[in-house]
Amino acid sequence: EGPPSCPKGCDRCSEYNGCIKCKPKLFIFLERNDIRQIGVCLPSCPVGYYGTRNPEDNNRCTQCKIDNCEACFNRNFCTKCKEGLYSHSGRCYVSCPPGLHTDNETMECI
Amino acid sequence: MRVDLFWMCLWCLIRHSVSGQGQSTAVCSPSCSCDEDGGADCSGRGLTTVPTGLGTFTYYLDLSMNNITELPASVFKNFPYLEELRLAGNDLTFIHSDALSGLHQLKVLMLQNNQLKSVPSAALKNLQSLQSLRLDANHISAVPEDSFEGLQQLRHLWLDDNHLTEVPVGSLRHQENLQALTLALNRILFIPDNAFANLTSLVVLHLHNNRIKEIGDNCFAGLVNLETLDLNFNNLMEFPKAIQALSKLKELGFHSNNIASIPEGAFHNNPLLRTIHLYDNPLSFVGASAFQNLSDLHSLMLRGASMMQDFPILTWTNNLESLTLSGTKISSIPSDLCEDLKLLRTLDLSYNEIKELPSFQGCSLLQEISIQHNKIQQIDRDTFRGLFALRLLDVSRNEIQTIHKDAFLTLTSLANVDLSMNSLTGIPTAGLSAVSQLKLSGNPRMKNVLSAKSLPKLRSLSVPYAYQCCAFVGSEETHMKKYTGGDDGEQISMILHCSPSPGAFKPCEHLLGNWM
Repeated sequence: EGPPSCPKGCDRCSEYNGCIKCKPKLFIFLERNDIRQIGVCLPSCPVGYYGTRNPEDNNRCTQCKIDNCEACFNRNFCTKCKEGLYSHSGRCYVSCPPGLHTDNETMECI
Repeated sequence: MRVDLFWMCLWCLIRHSVSGQGQSTAVCSPSCSCDEDGGADCSGRGLTTVPTGLGTFTYYLDLSMNNITELPASVFKNFPYLEELRLAGNDLTFIHSDALSGLHQLKVLMLQNNQLKSVPSAALKNLQSLQSLRLDANHISAVPEDSFEGLQQLRHLWLDDNHLTEVPVGSLRHQENLQALTLALNRILFIPDNAFANLTSLVVLHLHNNRIKEIGDNCFAGLVNLETLDLNFNNLMEFPKAIQALSKLKELGFHSNNIASIPEGAFHNNPLLRTIHLYDNPLSFVGASAFQNLSDLHSLMLRGASMMQDFPILTWTNNLESLTLSGTKISSIPSDLCEDLKLLRTLDLSYNEIKELPSFQGCSLLQEISIQHNKIQQIDRDTFRGLFALRLLDVSRNEIQTIHKDAFLTLTSLANVDLSMNSLTGIPTAGLSAVSQLKLSGNPRMKNVLSAKSLPKLRSLSVPYAYQCCAFVGSEETHMKKYTGGDDGEQISMILHCSPSPGAFKPCEHLLGNWM
């Protein structure tokens, strides 16, 4: 286990910023607390973020850059669109692009 | 198809009505916290087995960060409506082949960060609704050929951070619906031809942080919809010619490899490229036609291609906003550069062997020009004409002897100018009224004095000789407080740093005689 004062899954922390270095395999996520950022260690990143694994440094949670997306594979590829939207090639659509039609079972444009 | 629709609607009704009354979803295990919608959070409770007592309509079950080492047969048989199952961060070493039976609605299965040595293919067999499967951060070195056979709806597969030494070609053979795959952070050495041949829906492929030294010229054949390919941090010795099969490619990364040259026409089959990351390669040669016809490319950064002599042909690469081309043997810039690069904002041509500057007049959006460390001898009237947005100009460490008196005339936004380490005898100040930082040191033949009036916004100045600071420095202190009237007459002081400052041994009074 990490130092007793550190949060779960954390190897090194500071009183002011929470976790600084997570245990291997976990992702560090910077939670906002007023003006402070508090590091927490997670096995998978929260809604709206994706995990980037890095052999030399912390694995990090990074924000998805896709509109209407709840979970993503990388910055540009959504794996779960918000309720009611259709996905195609990693992006989320209110209505499918020209030439494609909706599949309401998988909520995809095909 | 109509029957399925009926059951789906009935199930939705049951789920919503029950959750509304909050009766049976209130059924929860003491080891978990459950919400009204059928979500159960049992994470981080030190559990060694799957808790009992959870409601049948549980659709989301989080068991991550516990100490579950095995999943016995039928352990989830009571959850026919489960859609997301999280088992990340346990110590799973074994999953019984019937452990996941009955989970017909399961869409997301998270098994990352466990101790699995092989893909639990038997257990995955009947998950016909599964779309996302996370197996990253395990110890997987084997991917049996039938691993993903039953998973017809699989879209996203994470196998990164495992012990794979080769691409699991056989197990991927029937995954026509797969859209995103990561095999990053493994020990893959080689990519054979047709490794991903049937992955016609694949959009994203991450292979970074492997040990890939060689790839087959047809290894990406079949990836007709691939948009993102990440080959960063590998040991590639040759330019990945196999990308020619990727006509829809938008993002390509092969930085931090051992590639020495980029051939002519390197990207001629990838017209949709937006970003190419190729830094940290021992590049010595880049084909002049490599970056032609890339009309979606916004940024191009080429550093240290030491044998490169010709300026790259950039026709129809006309949406470039940032161009960095430094550390080459390039000695001239095409005079029509700005006919193609009208959207250019930053231009870095430092550390080359450029002797002459063309007119950059067409590049009207340019904000930063860095051409330090070249062999430029003069700046003409039209060199920077019309660059109203130019804020930073660095032409230091050249051989500039003359600057046309109107060279800076139209540069109304210019704030930072570095002309140090040249052969100047003087500089025109017309047009420098907005300059706040001016570097002129290292121009030994420049002995005349600048007029403080023509540089009203100056904050920092470096000059060849101390006495040249006297015009900007009061007799008592080295920092001159310039008083300018504020709106209500209140005095605003602007501090100016001037070096070398005329200190005790180089007093302005004593020097007065010399430069009066």
